[in-house]
Amino acid sequence: MIPAAPVDVVDALPVRADGVVKRYGRRTVLDRVACSVPPGITGLVGPNGAGKSTLVRSILGLVRLAAGSVHVFGVDAAREPRAVRRLVGVVPEDECTVPGLAGVEMVRYAARLSGLPGTEALRRAHEVLDWCDAGQERYRAVETLSVGMRQKVAFAAAIVHDPPLVILDEPTNGLDPLERQAMLGRLTTLARDHGKTVLVSTHVLPDVQAICDRVIVMAAGRVRLEGTIAELTRPAVPQLELRAIGPLDACAAILARRGIEATQRDATTLLIAARSADVVPMIWQAARESGVAVRALAPVRRGFEEVFLEAIAEAADAAA
Amino acid sequence: MPLHEVGYRGWTGRLLSPWAAVGVIAVTGLRLAWKSRWLRRALLLAWSPAIFFAASFFAFEQAVDEGRLTSLTERAARGGNLDGVGILGTVLADTLGRAAAGAEHATEAERLVATRKLVWTRLLLAFMRAPQAVLLAVVIGLVAPTLISSDLRAKAWLIYFTRPVGCTEYILGKVAVLGAIVAVITVLPAVALWLAGVLVSPSIVVAAQTWDLPLRAIAASVVLAVPTVLLALAYSSLTAESRIASFAWFATWAACWIAHSALTTADLVAATNDTGAAVAGDEEPPAPPPRRGHWIARAAGLDGALDRWAWISPYHAVGAVQAWIFGIEHRPRAVLPPAAALLAIAVVSATVLAWRVAAPARV
Repeated sequence: MIPAAPVDVVDALPVRADGVVKRYGRRTVLDRVACSVPPGITGLVGPNGAGKSTLVRSILGLVRLAAGSVHVFGVDAAREPRAVRRLVGVVPEDECTVPGLAGVEMVRYAARLSGLPGTEALRRAHEVLDWCDAGQERYRAVETLSVGMRQKVAFAAAIVHDPPLVILDEPTNGLDPLERQAMLGRLTTLARDHGKTVLVSTHVLPDVQAICDRVIVMAAGRVRLEGTIAELTRPAVPQLELRAIGPLDACAAILARRGIEATQRDATTLLIAARSADVVPMIWQAARESGVAVRALAPVRRGFEEVFLEAIAEAADAAA
Repeated sequence: MPLHEVGYRGWTGRLLSPWAAVGVIAVTGLRLAWKSRWLRRALLLAWSPAIFFAASFFAFEQAVDEGRLTSLTERAARGGNLDGVGILGTVLADTLGRAAAGAEHATEAERLVATRKLVWTRLLLAFMRAPQAVLLAVVIGLVAPTLISSDLRAKAWLIYFTRPVGCTEYILGKVAVLGAIVAVITVLPAVALWLAGVLVSPSIVVAAQTWDLPLRAIAASVVLAVPTVLLALAYSSLTAESRIASFAWFATWAACWIAHSALTTADLVAATNDTGAAVAGDEEPPAPPPRRGHWIARAAGLDGALDRWAWISPYHAVGAVQAWIFGIEHRPRAVLPPAAALLAIAVVSATVLAWRVAAPARV
């Protein structure tokens, strides 16, 4: 008998990749990838061919790495893949089913393969299917289920053994807006209320923004960005956006005389470099002196999509 | 939302060993296979020959019980058939005929024990070689092709290999599915036949006199199962289309059988020409014509001719090795080439199977 989640691994970092290199022939798919997945929800985003799926496979110990290592809760995935897979639940992007089994049988089968005893596997399968709101559809053969229902079954099969790490590849593919919201809600519940680590590999940036605490942006086999969304969308130089009516050029000139860089973006917006908090009273003073009526003053944030596209473009430039 | 929905709850039980997955895969595979109406019919059909063989056991033991064994043996030694047990009368008659011509026994009781063992052995061998081997080929052809190819088509390998299940457990689980079916078709009816023989015999002591026969039947089933199951699974692992695997399986059996028949016939023609020449020279008398039901007599090992092409056909190779297991065939030239052929089939099939199953995790 094996404990479901050994106590000594639960305190370790859920996923840590160090200098991971994976080549298919002469093509390098993962190029010195180093990243970590802390507890909470982490988004793994990137264009097609970025290496996301290969990174997920390397976490599961399903690929032979040319260099580097991946540790899951401190366990080396290449050396002890079975121990790692006991700690991980996976919802693959590819639809994978055992034809002929009903939904609940499929989840029970997954539980049994993960090592749950027979009766417990059935009880647990019903429990997680109830939580996934699967209803009576669970008694239909998996190959006859709708896309949304299959996704629920796949998700239930991934968490039936209560793994501390759940990896989902495109979990909202083919779901209608209501189902999508429900799925994202379940992921949030798992992470926030039950302490699970969730790694979501997806193309859907709004999903990432909605639920992820951290994001790893991959492109061309490398990690381009890693951090919280707030960190990633913050400009390199902190800026304030002043929206006002009046002679903004005069205001900019006053700020420039006081050593503060200000750029007029349009007729009503001024972008002001804010290297310290002292800048704010100086802006108010300059606005008063130049006679502009301030409508709003707020920190500048870039959209996550913009950040993502910039990272992709940089990767493409580097490859060229 | 169901009334009993209690939200997500953790699970803190203890997991079973990864080897438990072998049983899980096997049981699930059997449940899925059992959904096939054709499999259920085939399994029912597979037990029907046992009824005819059980009748032969009964006829023999009835003759012993009624004290007719000596007269039957004398009649068989003169070349007469035994009535009342259909085509199996040939096997009984030939066996009794040879028993009469065999070694002398000190007492009548010893002669009876030796004769009974010989008759039972030949009946069991005929049962396993003639109807069961053919039915097994059909049943494996129905079940095996879907076992791995459907997993390939549905990408179900992710279900297994994203969990603590290795290639070895996966393959063993699939082999166990077919192993159970082989047991149902060959081992269980053979053991049931032996039990039936014991029950219709005059004394329970017969069980002690023939205790080795069930073990030989199990060993003969293993010889039948290992190469055939591995070959069928290897075919299944090579394609995502189970129809192609099925076709390859039946084509292999048919082609090898035809090749064996052609080569054996060619040998027979050559031997007949030689015999004709010999008769013309008055060197040796011509061989007596075979009795009716020659094929079943051959399955029982009554045809003493050396089948030098047995290794070319899995069916005939398995038969030759089974005859050795039952103690009927002792000539190395008759046993070793088929045994080597079966070993080669098993090794090559197992290698292909392991290579194909591990392919997704080998990248």
